[in-house]
Amino acid sequence: MTELALSRGSLDRDRLLRLLQDYGVYAGVLVLLLFNFAFTPHFVSTENFRTQAVQVAPVLIVALGMALAIGTEGVDLSVGSVMALATSLLSLYLGYGPWIAALTAVIGGIVVGVANGALIAFVGVQPIVATLALMVAGRGLALVLLPQLKDVRDPGLASLGSGDVLGVPYLVLIAAVLAVLVAFVMRRTTFGRQVLAIGDSRPAARLAGLPVRRVLIVVYVCSGALAAIAGVLATARLTASDPTSLGNLMELSAITAVVVGGTPLTGGRVRIGGTVAGAVLIQLLTTTLIKHDLPPSWTQIAQAVVIVLAVYAARERGRR
Amino acid sequence: MKPIAVVRRTSARHLLAAGLVASLALATGCTKSEDDSDKKPSASKQDDAGQVVASPAAGSGPTCTIDAYGAKKLDLKGATVGFSQSEKEANPFRIAETASIKAEAKKRGIKLLTANAQSQFSKQISDVQDLIAKGANLLVIAPLNSDGWEPVLRTAAAKHIPIVTIDRKINATACKDYVSFIGSDFIEQGKRAADQMIEATGGKGKIAILLGAAGNNVTTERTKGFEDRIKEKAPGLKIVSRQTGEFAREKGQSVTENLIQSNPGITGIYAENDEMGLGAVNALKGAGKKPGDVKIVTVDGTRNAVQQIVDGWISGVIESNPRFGPLAFQTLDTFTKGDKVSQDIVIKDSAYSKSNAQSDIGKAF
Repeated sequence: MTELALSRGSLDRDRLLRLLQDYGVYAGVLVLLLFNFAFTPHFVSTENFRTQAVQVAPVLIVALGMALAIGTEGVDLSVGSVMALATSLLSLYLGYGPWIAALTAVIGGIVVGVANGALIAFVGVQPIVATLALMVAGRGLALVLLPQLKDVRDPGLASLGSGDVLGVPYLVLIAAVLAVLVAFVMRRTTFGRQVLAIGDSRPAARLAGLPVRRVLIVVYVCSGALAAIAGVLATARLTASDPTSLGNLMELSAITAVVVGGTPLTGGRVRIGGTVAGAVLIQLLTTTLIKHDLPPSWTQIAQAVVIVLAVYAARERGRR
Repeated sequence: MKPIAVVRRTSARHLLAAGLVASLALATGCTKSEDDSDKKPSASKQDDAGQVVASPAAGSGPTCTIDAYGAKKLDLKGATVGFSQSEKEANPFRIAETASIKAEAKKRGIKLLTANAQSQFSKQISDVQDLIAKGANLLVIAPLNSDGWEPVLRTAAAKHIPIVTIDRKINATACKDYVSFIGSDFIEQGKRAADQMIEATGGKGKIAILLGAAGNNVTTERTKGFEDRIKEKAPGLKIVSRQTGEFAREKGQSVTENLIQSNPGITGIYAENDEMGLGAVNALKGAGKKPGDVKIVTVDGTRNAVQQIVDGWISGVIESNPRFGPLAFQTLDTFTKGDKVSQDIVIKDSAYSKSNAQSDIGKAF
């Protein structure tokens, strides 16, 4: 009898932790929203929500690719540099028109992704080391291509950065479409299953006959391409190519969004909805602190607290 | 079966490598940027923008002579000058600074050795030691940090090499560890920015400050000067927000977007560098504001910012002149001849406002 009660007690605790990990990030977003509704002047306005959505879009897009990489028990540190590379390429090829330039930028991201994937899948380098190498190389290359900030005057790109359809900014629309696409791929396609299988156990996936190398390369190519898209969008918003500062520490923001969203760093599980909420949570946190004019160092501390809470929830689950 | 697989794998690798190399070649080969046809601003237009000393009387502050410093007299013409730059030449200030030093050395026919620390302090220390080892008789240093210069100063002192620091100070004894410091007065820049802000807003309303990167003397001094002057001259101006834009345009833009929504009544923004100010302009444009709705005052004097004064978005720009070349070499020349030089040479920064932006944009860097 007592044994039964005890096991039920720990079951409840397990379930609570599971719930916390699965829905904690949504609860966090809700709490921050309610706080702002109550205490932040002029928070409830379309204009404000529009601004928040536009600001979160690039981070979110990068985080989607990062979620895939983390799902395979890897990580992609090169995303920030890919954004810088994309902005350099964009600026250099803008003479051919915005579409060709954007395409070139995305191809640049894909090339970095191929290099990352090849190092990881064929050479067998640890993801953190391989992408670290590309992170350094990518930023360097971006600065060689475009040594300093350059204004972008192309009207097409400018409208991409600030225009909208039926009140929804293009940036938000693109981010939403990409999020739905990645979520669909992860849930409904063989490729999504393969990513998770590799993340769970790479040797087992190989023994089961899965195309491990191909999947890994495709994952890092996706991550690179998504980061490049984010770079293009961020450039369009800024109407300037700034390879020195664009994408700085972006890899950390993206990893934070993914981890806070409930995707474990140990791979085998990817939560796209949680990743979106994680990115929104960090954005709301930053905004709240700015709007209440708290010192910027507080933002960093607040972010750290959120990360620690998220990791704590994940740790309990891992020990189950 | 197996050899084929191996062959296939190696060929895949070769293909990959070839693809990477080809794409790299493509990336550099046939670029066509937006404004290839645009002419670069001609250098001759900028010649009149060299620095002027704010306190020209050499006897006004503490001075230094070559005997007091313990170095030997030499002819600057035959000397080798080492120049250590702190940050990579990726922003207009650093580009103009390095170009000015190089141009002046060339003009005077002096052999110049240069190094760039790429924002890494340890690299700057070894850079300077390298410059000394390569035979520099005189040093011009743009320090990244103010502290931690002891190893270099010891090496330099052993060889009696005179050092002039530009744009930032080092924490050491003037005329013993180094000869003189040439630079702007950042507090004064903040005060003058406050004056411009008071003039633009009429001394009333709510204003926000976009701070520079944290833990940087430029940020603290530009903030202090601005706040002190506002407090003293225009108590009607209320500073409602102080947020960092980390000297970057993107950060300046996203912070401003948030600020103008939570404080719709903001009438002025003080940006501690031009880039953040330009980000603020972007944010205001995005929010559907008209030029002049919110007055922006920035510090630096880059061409882009001065252009925005002409367009009506920015009310005033306080210059922080980066063209140290002429003044640095003139100081070294005077010093090596045996005459006395000032320990603190504060340069006179000009300012741009509606009245002179159009005519003086050629002086902007």
